[in-house]
Amino acid sequence: MEYRKLKIYLQILVLMSVSHGAAYAFEDDEGCLLCHKYPKMGRITEEGARRSYYVMPHVFGSTVHRNVPCKDCHSYIKELPHREVKNGVTCDSECHSIKNPATGKNFSHKSIYEKYEKSAHGREKIAKGHDQDKPYCVTCHTNPIYNPKEDQGPPPRITQRCVICHEDEKFVTNWYKHTSRRINEVKRSPKEVMELCTSCHGDKRLIERHMKAAEKEGRELGDKYAFAAESYQQSFHGKVVKYGFTKAASCLDCHADNDNYYMNVHDIRPSRDPASSVHKDNVTKTCQRCHTRADEKYAQLDPHPTPVTEEENNNFRYYSNLIYGWIGDVVLVLLIGLAAFETIGRRRDGVGWHLRKGSTWWRKSKRGRDRVK
Amino acid sequence: MNLSAEARKVLESSMRMNKVSDAERAEIERVVESMPDDRVLLYKNVVSNPIGDLPRYDIHIRLQHMLTFVTFLTLAFTGLPIAFLDHFWATPLNNLVGGVDVSRIIHRTLASVMVFSMIYHIIYLFWLVLRDIMRGRFVLQRTLIPTLKDVRDFKLDMLYHAGKRDQRPEMDKFMYKQKIHYFAAAFGNLVMVVSGSSFLFPEFWATILPVGYASYFQEMMRLSHPHEALLALLVIAFWHWYNVHLAPGRFPMQWTFLTGKITREHQIEEHFLEYLRNLVEIKSEREYLLDMEDARELSGVYEDKFIDEKMAVNKSEP
Repeated sequence: MEYRKLKIYLQILVLMSVSHGAAYAFEDDEGCLLCHKYPKMGRITEEGARRSYYVMPHVFGSTVHRNVPCKDCHSYIKELPHREVKNGVTCDSECHSIKNPATGKNFSHKSIYEKYEKSAHGREKIAKGHDQDKPYCVTCHTNPIYNPKEDQGPPPRITQRCVICHEDEKFVTNWYKHTSRRINEVKRSPKEVMELCTSCHGDKRLIERHMKAAEKEGRELGDKYAFAAESYQQSFHGKVVKYGFTKAASCLDCHADNDNYYMNVHDIRPSRDPASSVHKDNVTKTCQRCHTRADEKYAQLDPHPTPVTEEENNNFRYYSNLIYGWIGDVVLVLLIGLAAFETIGRRRDGVGWHLRKGSTWWRKSKRGRDRVK
Repeated sequence: MNLSAEARKVLESSMRMNKVSDAERAEIERVVESMPDDRVLLYKNVVSNPIGDLPRYDIHIRLQHMLTFVTFLTLAFTGLPIAFLDHFWATPLNNLVGGVDVSRIIHRTLASVMVFSMIYHIIYLFWLVLRDIMRGRFVLQRTLIPTLKDVRDFKLDMLYHAGKRDQRPEMDKFMYKQKIHYFAAAFGNLVMVVSGSSFLFPEFWATILPVGYASYFQEMMRLSHPHEALLALLVIAFWHWYNVHLAPGRFPMQWTFLTGKITREHQIEEHFLEYLRNLVEIKSEREYLLDMEDARELSGVYEDKFIDEKMAVNKSEP
């Protein structure tokens, strides 16, 4: 027994010594990778979910957080091996190692986090009840979106110039990647926004669950809550966005205040909140962001027309659609019927689809009166 | 041929308007007299040039038709893949012109050409009517305006095709089918222009409409545009193309939209009243008809009677 234990320890020791010296993009000064570099590291939770605790060094090394020491976010870890993690990382924590180069203060996401907390989407990291349906930071922000394209190095014609004064090529490369990435992809395309919002607001079961909870608690929900995604997709904006047009309004173009888009997309509020950009007092101004000639009358137009899937939803559209369909069918049947009837009559008269010298009257007529030979 | 009261009226009014001389009048009467009573025999025996014998549409009308149909087909080609993008056939069609970003620009550009063609047509029609009134040659029955006669013509034509009648009705320059088609197209065009403009200028429509209705209007227009487009395309594909390309006797196509001329047999069969006017207006047509009837021995009816009349005229001369 003792021998087997020893053998395992020896194996681990050998493995560790082999993997030692592998170059990571970030410095593992804290020794976290000592354990977390093993791909099979993980467990099955009490709920039966599989959790992987594997940190892929080469991937993490190229994320936006590559320079942040693990303990800056995982601040609850005091000793190694660490205890069971209860809450995990919250995004409002302050970095102690990274300074904000503009202010010299500790870097943090606090300003945006505070906006988010007050918005319709705000929730705790470990949420209870209907709050579980709301998105936390990582629901929308996964690291890959901000990964620099490592395979595309900066063009030398630009960096060669920088290196002259800044001297450090690594610094220049990183700086170039940092800025060029953010200039290239300033914000998500309307289509990406639509897909992101629809992943929750288009989820029928989630909507139903949330509506039931709201009813129970006597909370108010928006008129369009039940079919927000569906009706947007059927609306003019949604349709062209879905087809790849990039200038039409996405969800955020109306529902977030426009002053500072990047800040205010975290501050989406229900339309009944006077601070919301789609509150009835602000909606005209919101329309005018794109439709410069819009007035109060224009703002009355419904950007979320009720879907026509059911009769009681939207009588007007349902019956208009129905009547239009019937008119089309009846007209076509009548006209094709007329054409068929005419063909019978004309063929009886002796005319077919023959072609001879520009005249088609060559067949013998059933009516008897034929062309004189 | 003994003309019906209606045809006689058309012939008389045409001769009056064209201020024909007495000699010409006698010649016209002789031609009319010579025609066999059975109109079917007449239109089965005439020789027609497939690209057309008798004038029908002038260059402006042909140009308007060309502008409208070329823009219509390309509009349908760029528009329907946008309206039905969920369908499997739409994506390749859309990609063919460079995706939605491109096809909607093409669509709007073509739409403005179509609107131009519509305005051109309306102005031209007004001018035509004004010109004819000034010259004292305006005839309501010769225009596209529907009359009660069209209802009667429709009924009689249906009886003919059903085999209950042995002659097609005597129809004017535009028969009932053409009037239905013209007004369907005109209405459809208007619907497309109004609904299209409500997508392009939603602010304008919201400003001029009452508050409660603007939203309904937009919804209605968004339904109308694809519905009307699809209906128009199907009507054109199944009905218009049948009438001008596929119908027996019209196959493989009528050249009227290019040459502006209609074949003789078609004119006699479906637009007999207009043919009578042609007889008044075109001398060569009268000569052709007499020759043809002589050659095919269809003119037996008139000869004895005409000789009698001629003798009677000669007798009364001294």
